[in-house]
Amino acid sequence: MMKIRKNILWTPVLILTVFLLGTNGLFCQEKKEEEEALELELPKPMFVGTPRNIRTPNLEKITGKMRGPFYVPKGTQLLSLNKPVSSSDMMPIIGELEYVTDGEKSGEAGYYVELGPGLQYVQIDLGTSYHIHAILIWHYHSQARVYRDVVVKVSEDPDFISDVKTVFNNDHDNSSGLGIGRDKEYIETNEGKLIDTRGVKARYVRMYSRGNTSNDMNHYVEVEVYGTEVK
Amino acid sequence: MNKKAFAVLFGIILLIALFFRLSQLELRPMHHDEANQAVKFGNLLEKGEYKYDRFDHHGPSLYYLTLPFAWVLSGNDFSNLTEGVLRFVPSLFGVGLILFLLLLKDSLSLKSILFSALFISISPIMVFFSRFYIQEMLLAFFTMGFLASFWLILRTQKSSWHITAGLCAGFMFATKETSIIIFGSFLGSLVLLKALFSSETPPRHPLKNLISPRFFYLLGAAFLVWLVFYSSFFHHMKGLLDSFCSFGIYFKRAGGAGAHSHPWVYYLKMLMFSPYRTGPVWSEALVVISALIGSIYGFTKKPTIRENSSFIGFVFFYTLISFLIFSLIPYKTPWNIIPFYLGMLILAGCGITFILGLFQKLWLKTAVLALILITTFHLAWQSWRANFKYYADPRNPYVYAHTSTDFLNLVQRINDIAKVHPDHKNMLIKVITDPHEMWPLPWYLREFERVGYWTETKEVGKIKGTPVIISSKEQTEQLYPLLQGQYLSEFYGLRNEVLLSIHIRFDLWNRFLEKRS
Repeated sequence: MMKIRKNILWTPVLILTVFLLGTNGLFCQEKKEEEEALELELPKPMFVGTPRNIRTPNLEKITGKMRGPFYVPKGTQLLSLNKPVSSSDMMPIIGELEYVTDGEKSGEAGYYVELGPGLQYVQIDLGTSYHIHAILIWHYHSQARVYRDVVVKVSEDPDFISDVKTVFNNDHDNSSGLGIGRDKEYIETNEGKLIDTRGVKARYVRMYSRGNTSNDMNHYVEVEVYGTEVK
Repeated sequence: MNKKAFAVLFGIILLIALFFRLSQLELRPMHHDEANQAVKFGNLLEKGEYKYDRFDHHGPSLYYLTLPFAWVLSGNDFSNLTEGVLRFVPSLFGVGLILFLLLLKDSLSLKSILFSALFISISPIMVFFSRFYIQEMLLAFFTMGFLASFWLILRTQKSSWHITAGLCAGFMFATKETSIIIFGSFLGSLVLLKALFSSETPPRHPLKNLISPRFFYLLGAAFLVWLVFYSSFFHHMKGLLDSFCSFGIYFKRAGGAGAHSHPWVYYLKMLMFSPYRTGPVWSEALVVISALIGSIYGFTKKPTIRENSSFIGFVFFYTLISFLIFSLIPYKTPWNIIPFYLGMLILAGCGITFILGLFQKLWLKTAVLALILITTFHLAWQSWRANFKYYADPRNPYVYAHTSTDFLNLVQRINDIAKVHPDHKNMLIKVITDPHEMWPLPWYLREFERVGYWTETKEVGKIKGTPVIISSKEQTEQLYPLLQGQYLSEFYGLRNEVLLSIHIRFDLWNRFLEKRS
């Protein structure tokens, strides 16, 4: 009899426990469902008609503000003008290698050299060693493009085997095999890409790229190397 | 020409057409418009939902006619669908329309039919848009069917041609509402035919032949197609009214074309001579000039030659009227060339027959034929170039706001990152772009469960912690401060001059690099 009474006493406790556990479980489940529901509320894409077909050259500045002043030591001069240029692709598809240092920076056809697909480089021989303070590169600025794996190296060795210094590298996944770079990708503009080389001493400058966002080719409108004589 | 030789040559032409249209259908990245159509079709495939949208994307036929092919080739699952399966549909219609030429054997010589078929099979434009998942090639197919059966009504008055013409007319409208321009051109052509070709050549009384009690068969068949397709098989009756309301919308768009406004010579220039900067030169002048010669031939009415000059006149007037209308409408896109170019392709076949008929001496005839075949080969070579080399290159005149091949590298990157994310394809992706820069992402991300699309960075909410963010150039500038140096950013080309950025959380990026090394 006592046992039955004890059981009767325990019954509401059991029911309450089961209820609380059940509700708790239910609430937990509801919470999960709510989370799922939230994710399903991600906005869907909007259906729209044909986008604009852009085929006209865009010589305007594409993004951001104008570049601010860049300070260099007094006496810094343009070293690369009309200096000899060599390349991994000595038979360019369009243009001549001389265009790289001819001082012409127009974005129109006839002012750029087009190198073959894949990883390619151009190399400038400054004639003698200089303290290089800045390198300015225009790949192709008549279109909003980004060139892949832009790597700039300088050296005293024309074969870039010894004494090589990397002054710019945005190959962040090392897809070109020249080492992982930490520099950012950038959109080509008529201002060119300015690289601060902090007075590094070298005679040869080599610039790599591996295609761009429009096609697999590599282009150069102009490269300018600024520096001072080594005393 | 004997019938056996004709059958063999026609068969070879069909094989050429199949080769050009079915090879490497997945080569070209999906165009913005193709992706729109594909995602809309995905809704129909998976959920059975389709509602006609009077503002965009044209008629329902493309989606419904894709269904059986998708069921057979890829099943019911949208994620299993491929570019190849989708493009297989217009490709097949692109080949099928050549068969309609056989219906014209009483109005055209076998030689003319063969040359027209050859031109259609290799024309760069016809091949390019046969490999494109939009409505154009379906419209071309039904237009050709309508042209042939309509002409047979005028000649034979058989009920079966009334029904065929009616079905084709119904499907033309169910494919593109703008087919009313084509109907108008056919009507104008019939009126001019009545006025200029009175009674010497059959059909002697075209309008009388047309307006008979059997004309209701044509109307009935067209009505049935319209009713079934625009009502989404009676599930969305509003579509019926909307199909007519769309006229106002398309009329307004045609006039104030905005981004797609081009001068009246746009199409003619594209056909005749189309160089682009440093790219190769493109021309389908062979077809245009031959069509012109074929039209002159039609008006000479030589009784000794088998061609029906009324039919050539009918096609000529149709081509001329539709060419003028499409050229005068400011809104122009390369695929809108097809309705009138079809007429040119038929006339070009007649033109070649006429040229060959001018020369009596065998050696001279052979020399001219050799010259024609060389220029035809050049056309085929251009077709190969347009479809297998410059398939997404802006230097190709038929490439219009096409997705860059570099975009596929972005898709590859997203897939690579998903592989190292614990949730894999359930990884959260936030896309922040203008709708015009959103596509074809929804198609390529169709296997991902959690993708959100916003147009403004400020509307996205929490940015921090999101595994992958994709943004347009404009939104990237607003996004950079919010990324707090926690992301690696890369650029990819979406289209000519249009870039997208991907921002990958550094922990995922490092995991990706580790896994790769």
